[in-house]
Amino acid sequence: MTNVTEARGTGAAVLGSGRLLRIELRHNAMLWLLPVAIALFWYNGYREIMALPPMWNLRAMTLQNRLLLDLTIPVTAAAAWMGSREGRRSITDLVAVTARPRWSRQLAIWAATTAWAEVACLACVAVVYVMTARQASWGGPLWWPVVVSAAGVPALTAIGFAAGAWFPGRFVTPLVTLVVFFGLGFSTQAASGDHSYWQISPLTAGAFDIGAAPSVATFYPYLPDLSIAQLMFTAGLTVAVLGALGIPVARMRWLAAAVTAVGLAAAGTAVALAGTGRLDPHGMIVIPALHTAAGDQPLRYTPVCGHAPILVCVNPAYAPLLPAVTAAVGSELTEFAGLPGAPARLSQVPQAYQQGPGNGIEIIAGEPSTSAFIIPEPVPGQPGGTSAQFASQLAEALGLKLAQDVILGGAPAGVNPSQAELAVIAGSVRFPSSVGPRDLGPLYGSVLPEPGSPADLAAKRFATLSPAARNAWLAGHLAALRAGRVSLSQLP
Amino acid sequence: MTAVAVRLVRLHAASRRLPAALVLVAACAAGLRGALYGHWDSYGALQLPLIFEAGSAAVIAVTAGSPFGEPERATGRWLPFLRLGATVTLTGLAVGALAVAGAGLPLAGGFPDIVRNVAGLTGIGLLCAAALSGPLGWTGPLAYLVVGLYGLYTDWHPPALSTPWIWPARPPYDAGGALCAAVVFAAGLAAITIRGARASPGG
Repeated sequence: MTNVTEARGTGAAVLGSGRLLRIELRHNAMLWLLPVAIALFWYNGYREIMALPPMWNLRAMTLQNRLLLDLTIPVTAAAAWMGSREGRRSITDLVAVTARPRWSRQLAIWAATTAWAEVACLACVAVVYVMTARQASWGGPLWWPVVVSAAGVPALTAIGFAAGAWFPGRFVTPLVTLVVFFGLGFSTQAASGDHSYWQISPLTAGAFDIGAAPSVATFYPYLPDLSIAQLMFTAGLTVAVLGALGIPVARMRWLAAAVTAVGLAAAGTAVALAGTGRLDPHGMIVIPALHTAAGDQPLRYTPVCGHAPILVCVNPAYAPLLPAVTAAVGSELTEFAGLPGAPARLSQVPQAYQQGPGNGIEIIAGEPSTSAFIIPEPVPGQPGGTSAQFASQLAEALGLKLAQDVILGGAPAGVNPSQAELAVIAGSVRFPSSVGPRDLGPLYGSVLPEPGSPADLAAKRFATLSPAARNAWLAGHLAALRAGRVSLSQLP
Repeated sequence: MTAVAVRLVRLHAASRRLPAALVLVAACAAGLRGALYGHWDSYGALQLPLIFEAGSAAVIAVTAGSPFGEPERATGRWLPFLRLGATVTLTGLAVGALAVAGAGLPLAGGFPDIVRNVAGLTGIGLLCAAALSGPLGWTGPLAYLVVGLYGLYTDWHPPALSTPWIWPARPPYDAGGALCAAVVFAAGLAAITIRGARASPGG
């Protein structure tokens, strides 16, 4: 008999809670702020995310950096507004005599606010991911940035709600909203290096000064280490704040205090874990306590290759950039094809990163072989990346390296090339007009002839030939050129 | 000024929580001062003042709400003047407090930016208070804050937003931006002076 009564009691409580939640869902300020939240994301985040090249890693990591910040103002404000409702309307005493404890009522309001905020969050994610799925050439959605953003929403609503409930004045909503916005938006500015505790900010995707880069999480998996710590932090913060709401309730004080303590412990542990992070060579943050070896295994992919005389092959995620790559070094690919020392195929390799002082990042990967190359960053479409800049970087990185490898034939470092060799290199590489003497200055004398020198004039003469003609001449004279038996006057 | 007039002003100020608003405006100024001592990157240095300007504007807008509603409207002959005076005084004090907070420190945009942004944001807040209610007057300045911050961001990441309606992104002495902010402030001031904030159950 007792069991039946208890069962009925539990069922009625669940039913009652469900009903209360339904009522709160229908009368929630966040419902009215949904269009504002979505409009702010469209204006602030969506347009910039969609302007990025259609690569999952770029868009997902930028989404994590933008979405939660764009939602902060409407979500925190709605939660604070809902939290202050009873105090604002002076009905605290009126509802205090109802059968349901205050904590339970408050949790229902918070849950309803959070539910609508999550609808906004996930709707934004869905639009970005559906659009990216239609455009991306390779890969699949990265879910950890979404999980972190979605987990940040309850933390925002919990903080806003608690502030509203504790200080139900007319000023609390704008003030707590601004404080949270400031704290979230500007906290990442304090991050310094890969061991920074501030990496715990849910806006940080990957290393602070690399952020969303095309090569990060393209050749190696997206490491969940930092995301797990961020998830732990936001969940812990949410639990702690919601627990603290229940502390004034006499019957539940100890339970609420225990919940708060657990939440604080989780959040504190997460911060400590973030402080143990280190930058791995692939551009992501490794947290030793959370790291698994599976994350160090390279991703398998079938490269996408162009149709130039020397095959240029890139990671399929970079497929949209392949035409730009082959166009930037097209003449060099034709000129050097089939010559001794020229590769039959150039394959893209990932760049490797190393933490420098402060937030400085050093790219430590050289090109390990004549058949490997790195695609320079930023790529067109990224902030600060233009097609002209991309082409000039490719000419310097790939075109010049190819010419050097073929003409100098892998001569040991320190051996001075002949003036004829420098002239042929300079006449072979097509630098865009945006590349000036200031950019090339360090290369004069070692790889390129000094401007205005006889070798420079010979280079200009050589450059007037077509790539096919240069290829034909090099096929007959490359050995003599390398041996230093070709003078400037003998260059065509 | 007669004792009755002084009492009227004092009661009006108390009903609008003006003392609390003054404290909060001073807190915004103190927050700006404290933040300016920090080391910020270019984004931070540019965007930081707007946050505190929006905070001050939101506080001013929230004070527009009346706890009395219809009875006050029916009996208050001097109400429009009191609303006008309270709003202009608070806006002026906010501008002054933020200017003092930025004195001697590298404040992006300087005094002209503060005047333009606080006036424009306050105008938006007053319009929201007139349309939605006093307690919801903060919605406009805070939503516009995100718009303004993004406008400042595009100054670094072109294409920059060139419309003068996003005045925080315009240079401090830009006439178009100043004009737009002034128009919005005038419209907000007119709405709140003539009509007052929309009555709401929360006051």
